[in-house]
Amino acid sequence: DLLCIMANEGKSSPPLFGDDDDELAQSPEPEEQKFSDVSTEEPDKGLFDDDDEEKGNAEEGEKEPEAEIPSLDVSDVPKKVAKSEEIVKEAEATDEMKEEEEEAEDDGGDEFTMEITVSDPQKVGDGMNAYMTYQVKTQTNMPDFKSHKSAVRRRFSDFLALHSKLAEKSEYAGRIIPPAPEKSVLGMTKVKFSKEESTGSVDFIGKRKTILQRFVTRVSKHPVLRKDDDFREFLEKTEDLPKAKGTSALSGAGFMRLVRNVGDAVSKMTSKMEESDQWFEEKQLELDALEGHFKRLVTGIDSLVTHRKDLSTATEAFSKTVALLGTVEEHEPLARAMSQLSDVEGKIDRLHQEQSSKDYFIFGELIREYIGLIAGIKACFSQRVKLFHAWQSAQATLLKKRETETKLKASGKTEKLPDIEKEIKDWEEKVDNGQKEFDKISKRIKEEVAKFESTRVKEFKSSLINYLETLMLTQRQLISHWESFLPEAKAIV
Amino acid sequence: RSSDIPYVLSSPKMMDGADHPDKLGGESKTTTDVDLTDTTLVVDISDALSEQDKVKFTVHTKTSLPEFKKSDFSVVRLHEEFVWLHDRYFENEDYAGVLIPPAPPRPDFDESREKLYKLGQAEGTLTKVEFQKMKAELEAEYLATFKKTVAMHEVFLSRLAAHPTLRNDSNFKVFLEYEKELNVRGKNKKERFGSLWKDLTKSVDEALVSSHKDSDEFFEHEKTFLVEYNKRVKEAARAGFRMTRSKKGVADCHIPIVATVATLGTSDTHGLSKFLNKLSDLLEKVRKLEGRVASDEDLKLTDLLRYYTDDTKAGKDLLYRRTRSMVNFENTNKALEKARTKGKDVATAESNQQKAKDKFEHLSEVGKRELQDFKTRRLAAFKKGLVELSELELKHARQQIKLIAEFIGVAGSLEYTPAKAIEQ
Repeated sequence: DLLCIMANEGKSSPPLFGDDDDELAQSPEPEEQKFSDVSTEEPDKGLFDDDDEEKGNAEEGEKEPEAEIPSLDVSDVPKKVAKSEEIVKEAEATDEMKEEEEEAEDDGGDEFTMEITVSDPQKVGDGMNAYMTYQVKTQTNMPDFKSHKSAVRRRFSDFLALHSKLAEKSEYAGRIIPPAPEKSVLGMTKVKFSKEESTGSVDFIGKRKTILQRFVTRVSKHPVLRKDDDFREFLEKTEDLPKAKGTSALSGAGFMRLVRNVGDAVSKMTSKMEESDQWFEEKQLELDALEGHFKRLVTGIDSLVTHRKDLSTATEAFSKTVALLGTVEEHEPLARAMSQLSDVEGKIDRLHQEQSSKDYFIFGELIREYIGLIAGIKACFSQRVKLFHAWQSAQATLLKKRETETKLKASGKTEKLPDIEKEIKDWEEKVDNGQKEFDKISKRIKEEVAKFESTRVKEFKSSLINYLETLMLTQRQLISHWESFLPEAKAIV
Repeated sequence: RSSDIPYVLSSPKMMDGADHPDKLGGESKTTTDVDLTDTTLVVDISDALSEQDKVKFTVHTKTSLPEFKKSDFSVVRLHEEFVWLHDRYFENEDYAGVLIPPAPPRPDFDESREKLYKLGQAEGTLTKVEFQKMKAELEAEYLATFKKTVAMHEVFLSRLAAHPTLRNDSNFKVFLEYEKELNVRGKNKKERFGSLWKDLTKSVDEALVSSHKDSDEFFEHEKTFLVEYNKRVKEAARAGFRMTRSKKGVADCHIPIVATVATLGTSDTHGLSKFLNKLSDLLEKVRKLEGRVASDEDLKLTDLLRYYTDDTKAGKDLLYRRTRSMVNFENTNKALEKARTKGKDVATAESNQQKAKDKFEHLSEVGKRELQDFKTRRLAAFKKGLVELSELELKHARQQIKLIAEFIGVAGSLEYTPAKAIEQ
C-alpha cells in the first residue's frame, strides 16, 4: 500500500528501483540500516510532494529525537572554521564568540576561487550493471586542496552520496543545501540498454550532466559548504569513492527510508510550533506561493519545449514535400526557388530544435533548480521546528525533575536529593543549549534566506536575459535564411 | 484580356475590436488583381453571417450588362448553392475546354469549435487571465477561418465574372439574380452521380498519362506535368498545414508562461517585480508575433499550395474531357470508315465525324489557351506569395529582435534592491 502510493506519485523516478547503480543486483544489507536511519538520502518521492527532493533533510540535526540532545558544544563544530578555532576551545563559548566564529565561517570562504566542470560522460559496462561516469575537473586556490587542479571521475551515486552527507551534518543545520540531482530510473534504463548514440539517451545524459554541473557549482559557491571535507574528497580523491550503499530504494535501507519519510511527512504536517517570530510564518507562506508559481511555470516551459520539437518535425516534413514539388516543377526559376525554400525550411527545422533545447536548459532548468532550493529552505524550517521541540521537551523534562525535587524535599527523602539536583543541573544545561541551538538555527536560516533572495534576483535576471538572447539569436538566423531566399523568390517570373 | 490574374488571397485584415465575431463589415476581403478596366460585371461578397452550421453569404453584383434586370443588387447564398453553380459549369459540354474555377471548400469550423469546447472543459484548471487570452486566441482563429472562407467563395465568383465565356452562363445569372433560394437540395442525387463521375476522374490519372499517347506535344507534356504536380502540391499543402498549425501551437504555449511570469512579478518583493512584469509583457508581444508568423505562413504559403492543388485538379479535369473528346472523335472516324466500306449511312457518319472533329479541335484550341493562362497565373501567384511570405518573415523577425533588445537594454537598470537587513 505504501509502495503502491509511492509508485503512483512518482513521475520520473518510480521509487521501487535503484538508479544508475547496479543496486538491483545487490541484496539488501541490513547492517546498513543504521546508515540509512541517519542518512537523508533523497526521498524517492515523498508521499506529499511532487518533485521536491529535500524532504529527507528534515532528518538532519537530529540523531535521536526523544532522548538526549547531543551536546552541541564547540568541539562538534567543523574543524575548518578559521583561526578563531583556538579561541573557542573552551567549554563555554560566549555568544559573542559564537557569532565571531560564524562570521569567520561565512567570510573565510569567499576569498578563494573555485571552478568546477562536469563533462565527458562515459558508459561503463553493459546491460543492467552499466553506469555512466563523468569527469569532474576542479580549479581552485583553496588552501586545503592538495593541488590547484584536479580531475577525477565520478558516477551519479557519488553525487547523491555527497549531497546526503552534506544534508545530514548537524553543523550545517539551517544551511540551504543545494538540491540533489534527480534520479530517473526510466531515463537511465534506456541509457543502459541503448546503443552508443541513440538520441534519447544522448538527450538524457546531456540533461543529467547539466544537473550535476549545477549541483557542484552551487556547493562550490556556498561559503560554508565549499570548505567541507567530504566535498574536497569528492573533488580531488583520485580513487573511486566508496560505493554509496543505501542510495537505492530497493534495499532494506531504502525501505526504511521510505517508512521514515512517511513518518516525517506525517509529523511535518501535524507538528507545529507556537511561532514567536512572524518572519518564519510569513516566509513559509511566501515560499509556498513561490513554489506553486514555479511549478506552474515549469509545466508551461515543458509544454513549450515539446511543441517546439513537434514544430521542428513538422517543418522537416514540409521541407521534404517542397523539395519533391520542386523536382516536378516545369518552370526552371520556380523549381530553383522551391528547392531553395526546401533548404531554408530544413535549416529552420534545426533552429527550432536548438531553441527547444535552450528553452529546456536555460529557462526550464533555472526554475527547476529554484524549486529544489525552496525545498531545501523548507527542510531548514523543519529542522528548526525539530530543534524547537527538542528544546521544549528538555524544558518539560526539567520541569518534571524540579517537581520531583520539590516532592523529595517535601517528603524529607534527602538521600536522593543530590542525584536529582545533578540531573536538574544537566537538564538546565540542556535547556540552555536547546535554546541556543534554536536561536542559532533561526538566525542562520534568516541569513541563508537573505542570501538566497539576493542571489535569486541576480540569477534570475542573468539567466532570463541569457534566454532572451537565445531567442534573438534564433531570429537573427531566421533573418539570414529568409534573406537568402528572397532574391530567388523574386526571380521566379 | 488580362491573363495575369493570380487569384491568390492576401492576408485578411487582422480583426480589431470593432469586428463582430460572426459578421463582417462591408470591406473587400481579397486583393485579387482583377482587371480593373473591365467593370461590366463585378461580383463580391459584401457580407457574411455565420449561423449555427451554416454560413450565409451576401453576393453583391454591380453590372452594366443589359441582360440583368438591375444594375446593383444582392442575394443571399449558401455554400451548397456555390457548389451547385460549379457543377453546372462542370457538366456543361460547352465549357469542356475551359479550366473551370474550382468550387470553394466547404466552410469548416469544426476544428475551431472543438478547440473552444476543449477550452471550456479546461476552464477550471486555468487562471482567469489565461482563460481569457486563450479564448481570445480561439476567437481570432475562428474569425480568420471565417474570413478565409468568405474570400474563397468570393474568388470563385470573381473568376467566373472575369472569364469571357463563363460569365455569360445562364445559371450564373440565376445565381446572381434570383432572389429566392435556389432549390439545390434535390440535387443530392445528381451530386452523388456527379461525385461518382468525379471519383472516376481520380483514377483517370493513369489513363491520361499512359494510354492515348498524344501527337500534340503540348498536351502530352501537360498531362504528365499536371498529374505529377497535382500529387506533389497536395502533399506539400498538407505538410504546410501541419507545420503552420504546429507553429500556432508554439505561440499559444506562451500563454500560461506569460501569465505565471506576470504573477511572479506582481507578488515579488525582493527587487524582481519590475523586471518580471516587463518580461511578461515582452513575452506576450513575442507570443503575438509568433502567432502572426503562423497565420501569415498559413495565408501566403499553405493557402497558396491548397489553391493550386484545386486548380491543377481543374486542369486535369480539362485534360480528361479533352481525352474523352478525342476518343469520341476517333470513334466517329472509325464509324465513318466502316460506313464507307459498307456504303451505308455515310452522310450521317460524315456529319457525326465532322461534329466530333470540330468539337475536339475547338476544345483543344480553347484548352491550350486556358492552360497557358493557367501557367502564367500560377507562376505569378507563387512569386507573389513567396515574396510576400519572405518579406513578412523578415519583418516579424526584425520586430522580435527589436523588442527583445529594447527589453535587455532597459533590464539592467530595472529596480534592484539588495536584500534587507535581517531583523533579529
